[in-house]
Amino acid sequence: MANILETVGLNSQADATLDQVTADATATTKSRRRKGIIVQPENVNEQLKTDRRQPPSSNRTTNPLTVSLGLTRDLVKQNKTTNSVLELIGFYINHFILLSLFFVISIFKNIQFAYRYMFLKVLTLSYYPNKSPQVIREDVNKLSKIPKVVSCILDLKDDEDENGGVLGLTNQIGELAAWCISAGIGQLIIYEYSGVLNQSSESLTSLSRYISKNLTLYFGTDTKPTFSITIPHKNLITFSEGASSTNRKVDLEISLISYVDGKPTIVDLARTMGELAVNGELSPKDINAELIDGELTDLVGPEPDLLISFAPSLDLEDYPPWHIRLTEIYWEPDNKEVSYPIFIRALQQFSNCKVNIGK
Amino acid sequence: MSDWISTFPGYKQVLTTAKKTFGRIIRTGPVPKHVGIIMDGNRRYAKSHNLEIKEGHSLGFDSMASVLELLYESGVECATVYAFSIENFKRSTVEVKWLMDLAKSKFRQINNHGELCEEYGVKVRILGNKSLLPDDVLEILNETEEISKNNTRAVLNVCFPYTSRDEITHSVRETVRECMGNPNMIINEQTLDDHLYTKDSPKLDLLVRTSGTFRLSDFLLWQCVSPDCAIVFIDKLWPAFRPWDMAKILINWGFNKYWYGGHANGYPHAYKRIKHDEDDDDEEEEEEVNGMLEANGVSETNGSSGFKRYDAEQ
Repeated sequence: MANILETVGLNSQADATLDQVTADATATTKSRRRKGIIVQPENVNEQLKTDRRQPPSSNRTTNPLTVSLGLTRDLVKQNKTTNSVLELIGFYINHFILLSLFFVISIFKNIQFAYRYMFLKVLTLSYYPNKSPQVIREDVNKLSKIPKVVSCILDLKDDEDENGGVLGLTNQIGELAAWCISAGIGQLIIYEYSGVLNQSSESLTSLSRYISKNLTLYFGTDTKPTFSITIPHKNLITFSEGASSTNRKVDLEISLISYVDGKPTIVDLARTMGELAVNGELSPKDINAELIDGELTDLVGPEPDLLISFAPSLDLEDYPPWHIRLTEIYWEPDNKEVSYPIFIRALQQFSNCKVNIGK
Repeated sequence: MSDWISTFPGYKQVLTTAKKTFGRIIRTGPVPKHVGIIMDGNRRYAKSHNLEIKEGHSLGFDSMASVLELLYESGVECATVYAFSIENFKRSTVEVKWLMDLAKSKFRQINNHGELCEEYGVKVRILGNKSLLPDDVLEILNETEEISKNNTRAVLNVCFPYTSRDEITHSVRETVRECMGNPNMIINEQTLDDHLYTKDSPKLDLLVRTSGTFRLSDFLLWQCVSPDCAIVFIDKLWPAFRPWDMAKILINWGFNKYWYGGHANGYPHAYKRIKHDEDDDDEEEEEEVNGMLEANGVSETNGSSGFKRYDAEQ
């Protein structure tokens, strides 16, 4: 299987096990060095190391210490301001009403959860891809339009969970890739907060191998589609078997992005622009939305048309903010799995939406 | 139905009292500090009700005033409304003129009566690329900002002409400009945060988009990708959006915060948590605690609310 893949490394920071560095690669780097704006990988790496691996449920710091400090402070404050007893009673009556309200809501939400659970089960029964591209094709043919670029937010689950750990993620990406190719979508962007998959060329190789295997299940060995996997922030590209280096046309381009491709990349861009401005190579007046858009498209990728979140509630998890301007967002409440019904329903929603910029 | 009820005498008083009561109740729990609203659907509403587009926009303004009243009664410190996008300049010149006229007349009304300012103590701030506005509109807007600048109770950010990409570009540009004066400055996320238009407002907690569209349409992108911000899409056109709908959203937000322990998006992502080695965990926590002590991390509390929030940044 080793010769299946042609791994191209563009970055000295990337692992040394890369097979070939083609002339094509240097050309890409050159285009990145255009205007001298290139993100230093060192910084990005450091940031990644210091980050938590899980998406935070909050950016604000709350721990037992801050809570107790705040409560103490509150106590002191309350002693100073003379709260009348009447006010205090009023507060507790209102708070009691609120809590009873919350209690009722919680009962309601439990019923809702049960209902949605049933609904999702019915959906899984009614839409079943059966590992056959024809079935997916039929579902998609009913739609008036399909997105060109689809992005998915995946969550790294606990190793012990179903579909958990890196293996689970690999499995999910494999399925998504097969569905995208069957539906005729040209580009798939996978966002995973911690970036476990886009660390080294080895993980890329194994991912690529897994996807090829999964595609064989869908398409058979004779007409197996080609694909490429890129990691924009490490500058790594892998092509599947059949996609020769001379002919760069593939059926599906997959790119793996993570937290570092979001705000940290914009920060790095600002830093680099700052350095250039100090050296007099760039004037602040020249910085406009087109320039930043061009750079970020180079560094991270295009703006997706459709963003599918497979989390139970909508949480963008620090997705690159620049890239979700007109993106249609889809998620299914209380759904935790990466399943075909969610994917096809997202496409259905997209086909019904009407984009009119400003008008 | 609601139109019919609103013809009753005393309806307004009842509504105001209801808002006040609701505000008093919800204030005792967690309340978002900063709410962003995309007011979408004025034109579609006008079309479906056989009204002129102008009237649709005008109804939208009334709806906004009514919803804002509820927000401020509920203890929201800052509301940001998307009044006009830079892309909206692409609309027909007649409509752009209507919108500008509407803005002019409404702001002039605010200036003359001072109702917003006196009754609610609202400070109006105009966010966006003001250089794109006609001079006469700009003059009135500046006047409004000037009149209300001493109010402290709540803030209303009016995004007029605004897009988030423009805001981020502006932030980068200003950062670079500052960097030229001081080449050794450290640029991080906080630096860019500090140069956004919304720098003086608390962090965004809730984003509401009406008209059943699942897009952010270039509004507060930088702010809303944070996991602290809940994004709510409502399947109602903006003029049909009632304070009652907003009340439901607020109470749902409060419930999620209260019930799920600080997660605004409505679900405990507990299943995601990966078990680390216990020793590792302790070390990390200790570091965090030390960091907190140094950063003097406790911000002012929410006062009457039984649910406090603390912010390391302030």
